[in-house]
Amino acid sequence: MEGVEYSLYAPPVGVDSDTVQFVRVDEAKCEGCGACEEYCASGAIQSINDDGIHRIVDPVACMNCGQCLTNCPYGAIYEGVSFVDELAAKLKDPDTVVVSMPAPAVRYGLGECFGAATGTYVGGKMHAALRKLGFDYIWDNEFTADVTIMEEGTELLNRVKSQGSKDAMPLPQFTSCCPGWVKFAETFYPDLIPNLSTCKSPIGMLGPLAKTYGAKETKTDGKKIYTVSIMPCIAKKYEGVRGELDDGGFDRDIDATINTRELAYMIKAAGIDFNSLPDEDPDPVLGESTGAATIFGNSGGVMEAALRLAYEVLSGTKLANPDIKVVRTHEGINTADVEVPNFGTVKVAVASGLDNAAKLCEEVRAGKSPYHFIEIMTCPGGCVNGGGQPLDPEIRASLFRSTVAQINKRFRARKIKA
Amino acid sequence: MKLSRRSFIKAAGAVAGYAVLGVNIAKEAAAEVMDFVARRQNSVYAADANKKIYKYRKSQDNPMIVKIYDPKTGFLHDGPCGHESHHLLHTHYYDRSKKLNALKEKGIELNL
Repeated sequence: MEGVEYSLYAPPVGVDSDTVQFVRVDEAKCEGCGACEEYCASGAIQSINDDGIHRIVDPVACMNCGQCLTNCPYGAIYEGVSFVDELAAKLKDPDTVVVSMPAPAVRYGLGECFGAATGTYVGGKMHAALRKLGFDYIWDNEFTADVTIMEEGTELLNRVKSQGSKDAMPLPQFTSCCPGWVKFAETFYPDLIPNLSTCKSPIGMLGPLAKTYGAKETKTDGKKIYTVSIMPCIAKKYEGVRGELDDGGFDRDIDATINTRELAYMIKAAGIDFNSLPDEDPDPVLGESTGAATIFGNSGGVMEAALRLAYEVLSGTKLANPDIKVVRTHEGINTADVEVPNFGTVKVAVASGLDNAAKLCEEVRAGKSPYHFIEIMTCPGGCVNGGGQPLDPEIRASLFRSTVAQINKRFRARKIKA
Repeated sequence: MKLSRRSFIKAAGAVAGYAVLGVNIAKEAAAEVMDFVARRQNSVYAADANKKIYKYRKSQDNPMIVKIYDPKTGFLHDGPCGHESHHLLHTHYYDRSKKLNALKEKGIELNL
């Protein structure tokens, strides 16, 4: 599917997510170049013999971000989980009400699989394509990105207000939208779990809302609803099968998770002419969204969206210009002091990449973190560069070009830091 | 020291890369870093600022958000972080470090 191999395996309800291999190496295709290792913050992907053949040493150590996969010049890394077969069957079943839940970043990558320039926005065509594929309700994860801002923003304000009282939750508050980061915190920094926002990610919220609120609003039997998370991400497949996400009252809140590449494959396999589709809106109730929701796809986006709320709540005044460009992050760590009238300074940090996240975690662990709110994205640049997005054609164009691209990338990265 | 296959490929690639692109690299580097990701990021911010795509730019202004949190008739009428929110929208996390420690005891070295 779009240059990446998949095992058609849909993990059953009740599976232990830590035993599933979401990212795998085809050892017959691995050339031992080691590019994958350089993109892996945890060190889960390692050379296992003298030829430099790589393997993920254990799913426990892998955060499922898939950066190794998208940066492998040989296409030797593949996905161990795909719900595409199961989803195709559900779409045909008249008794199943299939609900679409695409993430913000999907609409900035999907067009590339149909020949559009990198980054082309295809939100309207995406909704139209989902309708054509047979989804019954075109709901959108961007709606719950807005809900996340309400919940996570309120949680932050509560934490700030309660400082000094006996059972105050600690600051800084970390965002919890990125499943690679959440697993990373649980695995490597479990002592910082109280700092993680208790909010589920937007998709963790849309699953149960679809089966309760959505079912009520559309007069649908909740147990007939099959929710499909469509993500720019591989780690979201891990999140979807996490046992604690079952608050909607049925087996799983998120029944299936596919990524941008798999959606492109399904659209092609169904014979839909994507480029000639009209722009269509999602269905209301759980579909309408704002600019604050769509910027969740970028590193620094959750922060900016949260500040658009926090500013107005803390200051009691309207935020005239919603652009808070200072937190927009391309790579590395970005910090900012945001002045809020009638309140004071809100100190924030945004980290892109888990090696950078570790630096901020060490600071918090040492009690030296000055921040109120920290956003972490596992993939450099954010979800738009997620492990489930269409590949950068440069990387696999040829061994020669890919090597040059790697050098170029590293050279540029060094240049900007200097 | 034996030159491994991996380091040979790296070295050969580096030589070839610099030979071909040496002149252009510096110019390009100043212009755009991680070009591919930047294009997608710029497109996201352009959509956010485009009134034809997103009528509202703040979550609290989304009419469907106003509806779901309506204090009288809303599904989440007790507000953000209220009772129903806590049931459906908030969660707990789990210490997974034991599994990691078990790996380390087997002698597997990781970056952290």
